[in-house]
Amino acid sequence: MKCKKVERFLLRSFDELLKEQEKNELKKHLESCALCQTRREEYQGILDALKENDFPVPKPNFWERLKPKLEEKKKYDPWSLWKQWAIRAIPASMLLVILFAAILILFIPLQKEELSESEDLLLRNLDPLQETTILLGEEKVEDKNMMLIFTAMEEKNSTGRYLP
Amino acid sequence: MEEKELVRQSKEGNEEAFASLVKKYKTKVFNLAWSLTRDRETADDLAQEAFIKAYFALPTFQFKSEFGTWLYRITVNHVKDYLRKKSKMSKMLFEKMKEMPLVQENEIIKKEKEQIIEQRKKLVHQCLQTIPEKYKLILSLRDIQGFSYEEITKILKISPGTVDSRLHRARKMLRKKLAPFFIQRGGNHEM
Repeated sequence: MKCKKVERFLLRSFDELLKEQEKNELKKHLESCALCQTRREEYQGILDALKENDFPVPKPNFWERLKPKLEEKKKYDPWSLWKQWAIRAIPASMLLVILFAAILILFIPLQKEELSESEDLLLRNLDPLQETTILLGEEKVEDKNMMLIFTAMEEKNSTGRYLP
Repeated sequence: MEEKELVRQSKEGNEEAFASLVKKYKTKVFNLAWSLTRDRETADDLAQEAFIKAYFALPTFQFKSEFGTWLYRITVNHVKDYLRKKSKMSKMLFEKMKEMPLVQENEIIKKEKEQIIEQRKKLVHQCLQTIPEKYKLILSLRDIQGFSYEEITKILKISPGTVDSRLHRARKMLRKKLAPFFIQRGGNHEM
């Protein structure tokens, strides 16, 4: 096994991540390679030096010292406090907008559209084709033409339309 | 009171509940900061600042992870920001250290065992301050604090494979940094 591969195995061995076969391969290599043995000792020395047996403790009254800092932050940083509530405010605002839009769409009455003459006649249960039928039914051509002229001259107002 | 309930009440603005969480986690948060800065005052300040950040970030905590993991993540990011500003200073310290003469064999023999161990520790930690941040962080979490691979993946939000490769690279890097300080004794290398 090459020393480069051994180094990988070596590092994994410190975390107890090696399989049985890999452990045996490593052990076998270390028995015969002085360089890798040295390397192993160096790594072990580094890891032992890194291990902390005596952590210092935080300074006393940790919460008592933290509390006024928190209060100070709340006072002079309203944006931080606002962020705290923005998470709830955003969906609430969106809901309000949707509600408002729904009210606008559903409850505000529509403007009356102007009806055409035919629609108006139909609405009053009158036949819109009635006057046309009368005109077309006129036998005398000159009478028919006169009726057409008068019809064209009248204002576009359903109440003023010619009705027999 | 169960931790989840304490967190829920803290989110509602209950200061007493938050105080309980602070008391529960202050030592671990402090230790995390100390392992990266090696200074009690600085670590204490950073720990306090991390808790303040956590307090204002509580509305965003959705119980998707453990509160402790979330808090360590905030602490790690806060300490990283601090270290970025300090990195220039650390490099200067390391350069100064390199100018010091290598310890002679007969001097080592004279010193007491505890002093040697203490010096070795100091040296290793000083070298640790000079390696890139992400490697320093993973060494601190794994080899100093003793977090498991699984915990580290959650704190740093990286895959187990990345933890593995980054940790190994970090250890190799630290060993390379310490190489000038190794003492030769008939072919063996010791610090």
